[in-house]
Amino acid sequence: MSELVLQVQHLSKSFGSHEILRDIDFSVHAGDVTSIIGASGSGKSTLLRCINLLETPSDGHILFHGQDMAGRHTNAAAYRAKVGMVFQSFNLFNNMTVLQNCMVGQIKVLKKKPDEAREMALRYLRQVGMAPYINARPQQLSGGQKQRVAIARALAMQPEILLFDEPTSALDPEMVGEVLSVMRQLAKEGMTMLVVTHEMAFARDISTHVVYMNGGVICEEGTPQQIFNNPQKAETRDFLARFIAG
Amino acid sequence: MNRFAALFDDIALLWGKYGSSYLNGVGSTLLLAVIATLVGCVIGFLCGILQTIPCSHSDPLVKRGLLGLLRGIIRAYIEIFRGTPMILQAVFIYYGLPYFTNNAVQFRNIWAVSILVVSINTGAYMAESVRGGILSVDRGQTEGAKAIGMTHVQTMLSVVLPQALRNIMPQIGNNFIINVKDTSVMFIIGFNDFFAVHKAVAGATFRFFPSAAIEMAGYLTMTLLASFLLRRLEKLLDGHASYELVREDPLVATAGTYNYPGKGSPYDEVNRERPQGARKEDAE
Repeated sequence: MSELVLQVQHLSKSFGSHEILRDIDFSVHAGDVTSIIGASGSGKSTLLRCINLLETPSDGHILFHGQDMAGRHTNAAAYRAKVGMVFQSFNLFNNMTVLQNCMVGQIKVLKKKPDEAREMALRYLRQVGMAPYINARPQQLSGGQKQRVAIARALAMQPEILLFDEPTSALDPEMVGEVLSVMRQLAKEGMTMLVVTHEMAFARDISTHVVYMNGGVICEEGTPQQIFNNPQKAETRDFLARFIAG
Repeated sequence: MNRFAALFDDIALLWGKYGSSYLNGVGSTLLLAVIATLVGCVIGFLCGILQTIPCSHSDPLVKRGLLGLLRGIIRAYIEIFRGTPMILQAVFIYYGLPYFTNNAVQFRNIWAVSILVVSINTGAYMAESVRGGILSVDRGQTEGAKAIGMTHVQTMLSVVLPQALRNIMPQIGNNFIINVKDTSVMFIIGFNDFFAVHKAVAGATFRFFPSAAIEMAGYLTMTLLASFLLRRLEKLLDGHASYELVREDPLVATAGTYNYPGKGSPYDEVNRERPQGARKEDAE
């Protein structure tokens, strides 16, 4: 078994009296591609945002290499620099060009020299096929292009794990493919990824582990074969049947 | 019709005699407006930033208490200076200080007190504009910055404030134009601006209306010019409407810097110039 990167233990999150996540437990090893699937409102995105501390967990632990990050006195910024995040709405910086978007984190957070940061940014922009667009601004790009830049921005920080929050949900159908193929390539290269997705084909074919969430709890988890070909729980079967029928 | 002819005669007469005074007044007015707007922007940005420091229930009580106190002070500052006439604020500060301290503390420099009054006035308005500007920047921008590990200060300086600044440029322009006109109330403490020249000239010549006509034209020229320049500045901030695709492999350009950090690469701007020998031949 490869090295344990992330352990989520008894994680709960409520907004006021509204409980979103209840007693979530799972772990991610280096090189894992974990897909989190489930209906809208089942808490998938909140779980991902809790892992990145964009939401403060109400209870439980998030162990990153064995160190608890959910406590009060952790350095959230330093932790986030090692955990990349790709958002549904891209969240590229509108006041910067594509190249600057991929450089600013390296310069400000990792304190790299501009030359070094530029080279790293270009390397990953080329990997996602966006190198010709380095002088463009986010407003001038299509959704698929923006998302690929966002992936390059996250990669340029050389994170140990990359979180994807429904990366293709805001895209036109013809642009989904270009983003998925970048993600497929990353998975092949051994990037540790945690992907919240509605793309069942991606979850089935690319991921090494699938987590099915329902109503704020993990309903079932296992290998893609187990979840897709031989689901144990009635809820999982219903969910998958709805998806395939729809 | 001959009233107009008489008006132009009067204007020509006043301009011939006091032209340089009017121009000096224009200079003072513009200088005061520019300085006060800039200082006001700085005050506004400081207040706006301090007001939007995030504060959650999990923060320690001391931090929450201090932030609450800070917000209260800023709120009071904004309400007081936005809610009273600038002309009275000038009087209060200029005459109030010596009154209370038995002439021990007073401003000897009219410029200093004028800049102070107009700046803190502009700052009170700008604080709210900046707050609005920061709120208008999409939450996703902050989250994107946080997700790559930026601290609150880094997020503000690199991502949020540049966008907030662009969003409130029209407001800054508004404030500048208001300042060009409203600095005229500083005559109350003896500031020698464009409007003060009118008072002096009209007092000396009793030609009130011709002098007022000069003032009107002068103020309108200043504000139109300011509008024009501000629009140009906004265009500049927006950057180019189009972009160029980079066709060659952009990594090649940095390859040299990577292998020979001190030497740079043949693609660097510096190395693109001709060697010095070649340049000399060109000169001859």
